[in-house]
Amino acid sequence: MSESKLAALAALPGMSSRRLGQLLDERAPADAWALVSEGKAPAVPQDHRSRWATCLAGVDLDQVAARLAALSCRVTSWHDDDHPPALRNDIDPAPVLFRQGELPDVATPTVGIVGTRRCSGPGQEIAFELGASLSEAGVSVVSGLALGVDGAAHRGAVAAGGVRPVAVVGSGIDVVYPVRHRELWAQVASVGCVCTEAPVGAEPEPWRFPARNRLIAAMSDLVVVVESRAAGGSLLTVDEAVRRGIDVMAVPGSVKNGAADGTNQLLVDGCAPVRSADDVLMALGLATIDSAIRRSGGRPAPSGDAGVVFAAIDDGPTSVDEIVHYSGLELSAVYLALERLMSSGHVVADGVRVRRS
Amino acid sequence: MLATVVSSTLVGVDAVPVSVEVHVANGLPSFSIVGLPDATCREARDRVRAALESSDLTWPMKRITVNLAPGGLPKTGAALDLPVAIGLLVASEQILAAQIEGLGAFGELGLDGSVRPIVGALPLVDAVPAPRVIVPAGDARVTALVAGSRIRPVRRLRDVVDALNFGLPWPDVDMTLPDDPVEPEPDLADVRGQGQARAALEVAAAGGHHLLLVGPPGAGKTMLARRLPGILPDLTHDDALSVTRVHSAAGLRLPPSGLVTRPPFRAPHHNTSMSALVGGGSRSSRPGEISAASGGVLFLDELGEFPPSVLDALRQPLEEGVVRVARSGWTHEHPARVLLVAAMNPCPCGEGGSVGCRCQAPERARYSRRISGPLLDRIDLMVHVDRPSTSALLSVDPGEASWAVAERVAEVRAMSATRGAHSNAEMSDSLLDDVARLDEPATAMVAEALDGGRLSARGLRRLRCVARTIRDLDDGGDGLRETDISAALQLRARPPIGGDHV
Repeated sequence: MSESKLAALAALPGMSSRRLGQLLDERAPADAWALVSEGKAPAVPQDHRSRWATCLAGVDLDQVAARLAALSCRVTSWHDDDHPPALRNDIDPAPVLFRQGELPDVATPTVGIVGTRRCSGPGQEIAFELGASLSEAGVSVVSGLALGVDGAAHRGAVAAGGVRPVAVVGSGIDVVYPVRHRELWAQVASVGCVCTEAPVGAEPEPWRFPARNRLIAAMSDLVVVVESRAAGGSLLTVDEAVRRGIDVMAVPGSVKNGAADGTNQLLVDGCAPVRSADDVLMALGLATIDSAIRRSGGRPAPSGDAGVVFAAIDDGPTSVDEIVHYSGLELSAVYLALERLMSSGHVVADGVRVRRS
Repeated sequence: MLATVVSSTLVGVDAVPVSVEVHVANGLPSFSIVGLPDATCREARDRVRAALESSDLTWPMKRITVNLAPGGLPKTGAALDLPVAIGLLVASEQILAAQIEGLGAFGELGLDGSVRPIVGALPLVDAVPAPRVIVPAGDARVTALVAGSRIRPVRRLRDVVDALNFGLPWPDVDMTLPDDPVEPEPDLADVRGQGQARAALEVAAAGGHHLLLVGPPGAGKTMLARRLPGILPDLTHDDALSVTRVHSAAGLRLPPSGLVTRPPFRAPHHNTSMSALVGGGSRSSRPGEISAASGGVLFLDELGEFPPSVLDALRQPLEEGVVRVARSGWTHEHPARVLLVAAMNPCPCGEGGSVGCRCQAPERARYSRRISGPLLDRIDLMVHVDRPSTSALLSVDPGEASWAVAERVAEVRAMSATRGAHSNAEMSDSLLDDVARLDEPATAMVAEALDGGRLSARGLRRLRCVARTIRDLDDGGDGLRETDISAALQLRARPPIGGDHV
């Protein structure tokens, strides 16, 4: 019952995390429920107290419980042991958290990957690669499941199938936003965790996103900004991270790329640059040169024609004509080698070109 | 008095017989024409009257009724001028009725009494139900292709009257077929570098597989596509006739010999409407660009700029080789056996995600969504065309010339014909099982591609067709090897740079 009571309390009109915090301050959900039902909610105006009492009187707790069960949604408060410690001990803590799926182990290092929704193609690729490499290297990727950088980072983490990724969203757990990420949302929830402070049914209202960003910052050991515009929302996450003394790193972008103005400014301001996942792993103290070699050495190196072709694909996406030119092989031999390299996972198609995976 | 002359009218790319009945009766002078004539057809009155008077013949000052039977079929164009005039002459007893036994006619009249060539002469002459057909002298060569000795070409209306009334010989029209001047087609020797694209063009030409060229602006996609007809073999006589028939019906310029012998190349602009591309019209049915390209190449440049609805209309014709155009009143089938070659940029700015691409993810997603999966599914070959390197551009060695490639293409086409298929792309399932068996390593490779999700069940069928063509180009041996399958897999269409899927 305590979960449904928490859910009902969080869904009260005009409820904020500050008010919820005061209500649950050294008070169990059942006590808080009783207090509000009697019209004695602390630190809120009088008209709220009576309105909330009326609201709670109309709540069918069984129905709330059934709804939560149908969504496979867990609700925890900061009194609970499985509430993320990072959110309990935060300077601006989250008193209640709704979540689908399993959070990673408490000891797992976490990296927030954030950035603009309107990112460039390379930005999207970098976010994907960072998400995949970090996840593979044992880091949980925390992001916001938004379009652009956030989604690409999550996709990478899901594709790599490494450590559980965490998505912190701004809407209710049953309101998929953006709708285009419905599939990704479900994937993250199945291999990791989708969580939110917003009550069930909450629409993605604009004010919820800055609050969401603070949770991303709070849950991360390190925040990486992949691409951000000069006044982008991801810079709010950066501010939240700075308030908490969490390191921020930024991916350098072209000075002509408007989507990288914000990240380049971060570099000017003294953030460490990210060239690859290794830079992030070094900053976390997880990587040495050895581990970087170990990760790429999982597969046997290609040999024969395949090796020649693989060597010709060393510098980003490469066209077949370029491979023929650099390898000196016949076109048909290149095709055969490429097909084998694709089967073994060394090379992937990048649109109409190929590149190392 | 009543007279009937047989003729025909165009319906789509075919023609159907029409009886022109002319009735001349006493009464107030008038002229009416019934039987669903279109505006051009209705204006026959003024042309026929002037032509009669210019030819020293008499326009009867009586009540004239012309009926075009069957009455429910819309008649189009000016081809019925000549039968109306002849019918009128018979009905007004200026020509003996017995003289037009077994005689059909079509042609447009000039005010000076001349008989002008018309659109669609080839299908029209076929449809006239008479052992002898009077045709415009200008259409003599093209109609002679199918009607031979049936035709009686005339230069002016007076020729008809002279021949029928006075037994004068029909005018002597030069019917010898001039050799078509060899119009130089663009040659592959002009293309520097582009090894993969050249190979793909050769496979496309040899097997009749649709091809998509993707690359930045200035890479030479259009240049390559224009060289495709040059490596295709001449049309077979049957194909040439059916292509000529469509071109005649569409009013396209025919070569001097009258017969289209080279595969056509049509490159409609991307603002082309759907009816202009697949055919149609509200009252009559005109063949579209896809039918005009039938037997040859349909080149869609800037594929991403075509409206998606227009592109999706291509799916059915590409699958079946015919396009069925239906309106409320009629349904027509036009031939649409084309080799589709399309070119597009990988993204709106053209750089395709490589260095210098400044497209944002949503723009690229929108661009790639314009080409639907089902259309891409029907495109067997997709290659990247990059700007040629400086050394290739400045090289003095010409590439392999078109004639050399054309020889190999013709050989493969001949092999397909021996197997009983029009081209390798159109092989039936049973034939495919017969001639495209996979050897053991090839089977393993296909299995891996299927398991890896890089190939669908539907894709497998087309993959085998392409691999067969690749083997045919190589040594024509039995079965398919690993090299054939790997090349076909690498040439298979993949969606261009995606939006959200990195």
